Amino acid sequence: MSFFLSLLLAGISVGSIYALVALGLNLTFLTTRTLNFGHGSIMMICAIVIAYFASLGYAVPLLLIGSLALAVFLGLCVERIARPALRGGGSMGWVVSTLGFGILLQGIAAREFGSQAVAFPAIIFSAADFFIVGGVFVAYQYLVVLVVSIMLILIIELFLRRTRWGHAVRAVSLDAELGVVNGLPVKLIITMSFVCSALLAAVAGILVAQVGGTVDPAFGFNLVLFGFVAAVIGGMGSSVGALVGGLIVGILSKMVAGYVSSAAEHAVAFALLMLMLAIRPQGIFVQPEVNKA
Amino acid sequence: MIEVRDLSVRYGAVEALRGITLTAQPGHTTAVLGANGAGKSSLLRAISGISPVTGGEILLNSKAIQTVPPEKRSQLGLAHAMEGRRIFKQLAVHENLELAWSFGARKIDLQKGIREVYDRFPILGEKSTTAGGLLSGGQQQMLILSCATIRNPTHLLLDEPSLGLAPIIVNQIYDFIASFARDTGATVIIAEQMATMALKVSNYGYVLRGGKVVVDGESKELLRNGIAETLSSSYL
Repeated sequence: MSFFLSLLLAGISVGSIYALVALGLNLTFLTTRTLNFGHGSIMMICAIVIAYFASLGYAVPLLLIGSLALAVFLGLCVERIARPALRGGGSMGWVVSTLGFGILLQGIAAREFGSQAVAFPAIIFSAADFFIVGGVFVAYQYLVVLVVSIMLILIIELFLRRTRWGHAVRAVSLDAELGVVNGLPVKLIITMSFVCSALLAAVAGILVAQVGGTVDPAFGFNLVLFGFVAAVIGGMGSSVGALVGGLIVGILSKMVAGYVSSAAEHAVAFALLMLMLAIRPQGIFVQPEVNKA
Repeated sequence: MIEVRDLSVRYGAVEALRGITLTAQPGHTTAVLGANGAGKSSLLRAISGISPVTGGEILLNSKAIQTVPPEKRSQLGLAHAMEGRRIFKQLAVHENLELAWSFGARKIDLQKGIREVYDRFPILGEKSTTAGGLLSGGQQQMLILSCATIRNPTHLLLDEPSLGLAPIIVNQIYDFIASFARDTGATVIIAEQMATMALKVSNYGYVLRGGKVVVDGESKELLRNGIAETLSSSYL
């Protein structure tokens, strides 16, 4: 029983990280119908920068701010790089350009910081801080990840549903040209969605590195795969879907890893993806297109 | 006042407008008539800034606006009801109205604007929380028209407001259009295939063919000369 519980808690914890990744992917998908395939690299570089400079003795709070500022800059870069392909209309060029940008970041990280894993500093709690639930040791860090994920998802969901600017973001996702005619600052909204997506990547990267304890240049790629599966299962563009999808993928993959084999984690995630695409391609939380007439 | 001088629009190799010159007076409704592909929509879209203009000038109250980006033109008092049921289908009726009001130049406050819309078209009030995409065709057209007029724009472009609607709804919508320019002093341009209808409510009319103005004149004159019938036969 306690084995099951510890798998469940581990699943919820990694699941909430997948949810954060899915949320970041969702944001650019909402406004431009594109995914940033360099998302994982932004997670990695924002975390590795903190790890590297912390080891040189810089203050962690300062590094956190610097890392988020770097994320804003990278978000602007991705948008700038993907923009010509987006404007072309129907071109898939953004796939190559965002992927290429991600690989470039990975290369820079490997060159500057080496391809070895770097130890990540303890920010809020250390790995030794834990509490006990049902006889299972739970690290406080897991709790932090979960709470931060849920808070961010709530904020984004409230913003999109309850504020005028949130409605404008949804409007851009539905019909950008109609938005332009209505005077919506469409370009600004698109740019901001890339910036916020990169910020979410940074937060996810820092949280994962915090739990895992180390970062290396290849870190992030796996997480983005799982995050992508989570986003599709929950429904692309839905924040609540990202959370639920993330938890499903996280719990299921940990269960399989625990009871079957840890080598089967990926297989299960992708089996789930294919199953979902076959049964309900729009995801759990997205209604099929509302369209009468 | 909207003035268009020698305007050309080109989509790749296709010339949609070939040197159109037109003036729409404030307080008047100006009809732009023509068959499918004559260039009506391209003309309105060029004024809104969303079709590729290759030459000529567009003036709003005597100020050239070709270099003003499209999303800024609504702040100059321009509103455009596009053809083809263009509303935000997943957003509720009241959310559509709020968005249409929020980002352009507006002369009344939101609550008053929404109340006026619901007084004019009570069915929209009843369905205010329904997603736009679930409305019937006629209700969607009422919503499009309401979105375009909720800010009390000084320049209003209407693209085929009668397309695919039952006659009784067409009358209701046209009654509103007919009074809008007169009551608010706005400059209204309406693009229509239903020439008779459009000429009855407008002051002046232009007939387009192949991206050029072929006939223009007072709407009454055009009606008397049987332009509507000639046009109708040319559609067939």
